Amino acid sequence: MVDDAGDTTRLAQPASRVVSLSPATTELIFAVGAGDRLVGRTRWCDYPDAARTVPDVGDGLPPNVESVLAQHPDLVLLYRSPQNVDAAERFRAAGSAVLQLDFNHLSDVSRLARLLGPLVGRAGEGDSLAAALEQELARIQLPPEGHRPTVLILAWDQPPMAIGAGSFQSEILALAGGRNVFEDIAAPSATVSIEAIAARDPALILVSDTGTPGFARRPEWNVVTAVRERRFLHVNTPAFGRPSPRAPALVLELRGLLNRSGQ
Amino acid sequence: MIIRGAGLVLRYPGVAAPALAGVSVALDKGELVAVVGPNGSGKTTLLRALLGSQHLEAGAVEVEGRPLEQWRPRELARVVGVVTQREEILFSLTVRETVELGRYAHLGPLAGPRDTDHTAVAQALQRADVFGLAERRTDTLSGGEWQRVRVARALAQNPRALLLDEPTVALDIRHEMEVFELVRKLAGQGIGTLLVTHHLNLAARYADRMLLLNRGSVVAEGTPAEVLRSEVVSAVFEWRVAVTSWCDGAPQIVPLKPGE
Amino acid sequence: MMRARWIWLSLLTLGALSAGLSLGATPISIGALWAGLKDPAADAAPIIRELRLPRVLLGFLVGGGLAVSGAVLQALVRNPLADPFVLGISGGATLGAVVAISAGLSSPWAVPFAAFVGALVTLLLVYRLSLVAGRRLDSNVLLLAGVVASSFTMALVTAILMLVDATRLQNSFRWMLGGLWSASWTTVLMFALYAIVPLGVLLSQARSLDLLALGEEPARHLGADPERVKRLAYLATGFLTAVAVATSGAIGFVGLLVPHAVRRLWGPLHAPLLPAVFLAGGGFLVLADALARSIAPPVELPVGVVTALVGVPLFAILLRRRLA
Repeated sequence: MVDDAGDTTRLAQPASRVVSLSPATTELIFAVGAGDRLVGRTRWCDYPDAARTVPDVGDGLPPNVESVLAQHPDLVLLYRSPQNVDAAERFRAAGSAVLQLDFNHLSDVSRLARLLGPLVGRAGEGDSLAAALEQELARIQLPPEGHRPTVLILAWDQPPMAIGAGSFQSEILALAGGRNVFEDIAAPSATVSIEAIAARDPALILVSDTGTPGFARRPEWNVVTAVRERRFLHVNTPAFGRPSPRAPALVLELRGLLNRSGQ
Repeated sequence: MIIRGAGLVLRYPGVAAPALAGVSVALDKGELVAVVGPNGSGKTTLLRALLGSQHLEAGAVEVEGRPLEQWRPRELARVVGVVTQREEILFSLTVRETVELGRYAHLGPLAGPRDTDHTAVAQALQRADVFGLAERRTDTLSGGEWQRVRVARALAQNPRALLLDEPTVALDIRHEMEVFELVRKLAGQGIGTLLVTHHLNLAARYADRMLLLNRGSVVAEGTPAEVLRSEVVSAVFEWRVAVTSWCDGAPQIVPLKPGE
Repeated sequence: MMRARWIWLSLLTLGALSAGLSLGATPISIGALWAGLKDPAADAAPIIRELRLPRVLLGFLVGGGLAVSGAVLQALVRNPLADPFVLGISGGATLGAVVAISAGLSSPWAVPFAAFVGALVTLLLVYRLSLVAGRRLDSNVLLLAGVVASSFTMALVTAILMLVDATRLQNSFRWMLGGLWSASWTTVLMFALYAIVPLGVLLSQARSLDLLALGEEPARHLGADPERVKRLAYLATGFLTAVAVATSGAIGFVGLLVPHAVRRLWGPLHAPLLPAVFLAGGGFLVLADALARSIAPPVELPVGVVTALVGVPLFAILLRRRLA
């Protein structure tokens, strides 16, 4: 098969020793029921709980090649990035099958469930997971007309970093019925000025901490109406950070928050 | 007595032999004193010791009767002007701006230059024969011109004493003579000048007194005739010399070729 | 002739300030600008008065402060390649900020405060290291100590960043690139209050700095007290740089290029140079920030990138004219 980096890999039979080097793929492997085949995960892979029993092989970007190879994997799943190209080569040279995967969008969940299922001997589970996810997402679709409050998804405040249309979080927001106030930014995230935020005047600001965020106490942020009126949405489910089968629940949770906000 | 150094002992760190082994020197107003000696004899060190640039192991320096330590830099600069052997130029200024820096000790930190300052600068430029170079940038000057500019800068301080370290090193005959003529004239005007030089013959013709140093000690002191005697000079400079005299009576050293 | 260049500089600076006010994520016409400045109820007024105006002023003060620090340091260490960050202060500030970011402190003033503390600690450590025989501040040792401090702090920063998660890593990098996002009237006022003393000290030492640039020996012979001047100059520029970096990160090129360029046109005497450098540095940073905000709206480029992109060609032009 061809992975997202354009490289071809072949596996004679389903892999039994898989190292997953990103939290999203770890979660997906467990979701198709192949968690017992995992022999390595990154230290950031924390879901599901069972993942914590899988040996920790360090970072995923870039990976610690020695600790990965120490697990004698026959399949290594990497996040696709220029930083991982070297490591991919070395895993291949050691005889392991290697996949570099783009795992950034909601659509990647079903795509990769279908792709990875057969690789770990769970073709059926993979397909049904994908199908179920797609059905669920279709079911909770909102009608196109209807009020969509503008939302700023703020990743960081020093400097202000907004999540753009190219990210998973923006997709979730759109499904939940909100409009990303920076939907014209194609990248997953970008630095913006407070002025731009103030000019676009979002109805709500989505942040990940609980309670009123620290930056709300700064005078320059209070030019933004939503900050001044403390119109914050707090989402700190880790699931919000990466594409996963938990997406539909996340959409509903966010939709509930939006409705309750009264915007 | 403008400057007096008594029993100066100075040792550079890590060097066993002292650079100055008990040197005494005095500079009075109106006199031109030449300090001569071979390389490494302590001539430049003596100058540095007199200015407090180097820490003394023993001995004391007095300026106008007061111990050197009691003088604040600004006060001292109004009395003593110094021209060192070499000075690197980091940022180029015009000659006039350079000489104006000599007025630092006479100006408050925020005050602008007054008429007296402009006059002093103009006079200094004249006396050092660099008036025509006033608007030139210092990085375009020849070695000799730069030297004279620094003399002008020292003169702008309106000092009562001048200490010069090898001021004629890069100069041609005309400018060498002009420097010696200048310091002789300044001596006539009351400025005491201490001149470290390797130019024995010119020093002999211009200086009132000479100090001959060797290995950190004063070997001879007195008028040029008293100091420049062939046995002494030959021994100190480790080369046979003969001493003749010029029509003004000054002794002139002639180094002898090996066979002579 | 002398007057003319000041008029030109003032006009250019004013031009930069106007550009700073009218350019941005949402371009505002001159008319709307005036309306907003005069009438608090006008449409764009809150943005102009509470965001843009403070930002332009902060940029002016920070740029001016960094440029003056650079000019003085170049005389202090007798090296025209010195910039305010060569003494390790920005390294210390970065370390403080990264620690605060990694610790996830909630106060919005935690990061700037930690950066300031980091900068001051580094400033004092480098100062202490550079005191030869306990008394004399040696300029060469100062440079060396600064390089050592920079390397050490950046090594610590790298180590910390290796241990934190990807988000904090990205946030830290973005902070390190610097920018004027923290601008508000409070920030402007605080910066002005902190900066006025060191700036005053440096201006009062203008003539002494002229002498120090000749070398310590000639300076002493002309009546300056080199130790005192060095001490004052180092502590004042260090403090000024610390405040600037804590407020807006390490914005490069302003402290190196602006003093050079202005010195070529104004000459090296500090009494006229320092005010000119302040105006030029302030105008330059305001212009760079305006461009950073308006090249690809609504995205804001890091201002340090723009200062390099704008500054280097400008400097090259200046170099060629001088040589020609």
